[in-house]
Amino acid sequence: MKDVETRPKRYERVIILALLLASLPLILGFSLLTISSLSTNMVTNLDPDSFHSTLENWINLFKGKIATTGGIRVNIWRITLNTLVVALGVAGVVTGISALAGYSLSRIDFRGRKILMVLLLILHAFPGVALIVGVYLLYRLTFPQSHDLVGLYSFIYVILARAALEIPMSIWLMKGFFDTIPWEFEWSGIIDGASRITVWRKIMLPLIKPGVLAVALFAFLAGWQDIIYVRTFLIHPTLATFIEANIEAEYSHMPLIAAAGTVYLLPTIIFFITAQQLLLQSYSGGIKG
Amino acid sequence: MVKVILDNITKRFDDFAALKGVTLEITDKEFMALLGPSGSGKSTLLYTIAGIYRPTSGRIYFDDRDVTDVPPKDRNVGLVFQNWALYPHMKVFDNIAFPLELRKFPKEEIAKKVKEVAEMLRIETLLNRYPWQLSGGQQQRVAIARALVKEPDVLLLDEPLSNLDALLRLEVRAELKRLQKELGITAVYVTHDQAEALAMADRIAVIKEGEILQVGDPDEVYYKPKYRFVGGFLGSPPMNFLDAEVQDPYLDVYGNRILIPIQYRELVKKLGVRKVILGFRPHDAEVVRGVAEGLVGTVYSFEPLGREQIVTVSVNGASLKVFAPEGEHFTFGEQVTVKLREDRIILFDKKTEKALEFLEE
Repeated sequence: MKDVETRPKRYERVIILALLLASLPLILGFSLLTISSLSTNMVTNLDPDSFHSTLENWINLFKGKIATTGGIRVNIWRITLNTLVVALGVAGVVTGISALAGYSLSRIDFRGRKILMVLLLILHAFPGVALIVGVYLLYRLTFPQSHDLVGLYSFIYVILARAALEIPMSIWLMKGFFDTIPWEFEWSGIIDGASRITVWRKIMLPLIKPGVLAVALFAFLAGWQDIIYVRTFLIHPTLATFIEANIEAEYSHMPLIAAAGTVYLLPTIIFFITAQQLLLQSYSGGIKG
Repeated sequence: MVKVILDNITKRFDDFAALKGVTLEITDKEFMALLGPSGSGKSTLLYTIAGIYRPTSGRIYFDDRDVTDVPPKDRNVGLVFQNWALYPHMKVFDNIAFPLELRKFPKEEIAKKVKEVAEMLRIETLLNRYPWQLSGGQQQRVAIARALVKEPDVLLLDEPLSNLDALLRLEVRAELKRLQKELGITAVYVTHDQAEALAMADRIAVIKEGEILQVGDPDEVYYKPKYRFVGGFLGSPPMNFLDAEVQDPYLDVYGNRILIPIQYRELVKKLGVRKVILGFRPHDAEVVRGVAEGLVGTVYSFEPLGREQIVTVSVNGASLKVFAPEGEHFTFGEQVTVKLREDRIILFDKKTEKALEFLEE
């Protein structure tokens, strides 16, 4: 891709500076968090003197010692795994449903299609918090009797509930991606003898692969970052609830919590570095000129 | 290899009538061109034959089989799209093999058939590449190969050459015609390019606003246009049209008097028409300097195009184009006379714009 080469350069520096200033608080916050995790004291007071480098926080974190004194131990690996299960679960459910629903809304002429699309938008407008009372009621109603099933049930429930929040927008996104594919690809497949589901799987999905990956990543992050639904429904802690629960605890060693916070941030940072490439990538198709 | 019969096909999209009662018979092994301007419904007709669109009314037959409600995959048609619609994530081999894989052909047979058709189209060295690595002409061959590999009864082509550059188009044109004859396959070819239709087709159906105006072999539609539109759509430059008034035995053409052509004398009397349109092709007239018997006017423009030279002559405000003899040059504003070849003149009824000989049909 090439920009207009004769575009005015005059305000370019000003714009770059403004963007830099706007993102400064975020960059500063992230940096302080990461630096603190490598220090004996928190450096959030912006005083360089309070920085004494150490790896102890990270070692203790992975050993599961969250306080410098006392014997409180948690299994951080287990917590990370919980987070991963929720995030992957949400990503899977959201991607699967929205890839199918987005295709249907984009390509299949059925009754109630328009209304459904408007309803999805309205659904998206509801904040998750506003729905939580109702969702909790349903949670209690379907809560299993058997003690053994509670853990599994709470995982499935939180994944489905959190995915449901993401699905309306994801369907719209996916529909947008399908809309960009010329009908000829689909017609060609149908004339070649493919069913609609084969066309979807073998022709359409590969053509919108960057879109599918983008939706999956957004859903993954939504699951990874979520705190309210996880806190309400999941029996086990995730990174988010673990940090939140320990942040004000008297026994907590804050630089260690900072290390946990850095772990929690990692996917987001990786995603935003790699996603630019991914989101810009698109198939040029079979058309020339 | 089938005969395709379209029986009074109409197609409506909401309030818009794309096809208005199209009846057409495409005989076995025939190369039929559907020629018309954009929006004339020619592609709609093609997609109706393919089964992508279902006609609002009317029936479609492949030989004696009524296929009106048969889904595309059971019609055994091959379709080449204008943008070729090659699957960009599949290699050339997989693109061509796709229709066979869906029909659950055994692997060895797929490989054999793909190789055969690739050799026929001279793309056998490209099978391991992706479509975007190919030139336009190569991509087009792949698209044709994919349409042919399943040995369709009917080959449908939707402006397959319009994405190629001019020189390549001429080359592929000749090749495609040859291929169709060699395979003996029934072909329907949609185009807005009159030269393509004339060059390739056995018969041409000229379509305008969802109706077929005329069906005939290239000579018929070129020399005996049924409508003013047909004359004006075929040929480059197209037919000239001049308003004329009958003043037996003369025609008054913008202040010039010319005799009513012999072939029309009785017809004009019989029909009693007064206002007509005089039509003639640029090569069916001669332009001479000075004032003589014919249409007198001045040179408005002169375009030498190598062997052919086009003179635009202004006759009392009406404009017409005539080919000038090789080597003869004209200057702007020069007084000239256009002499028409009497037996090639076509008279159209002013009101219906239909040629007089077809007026009573």
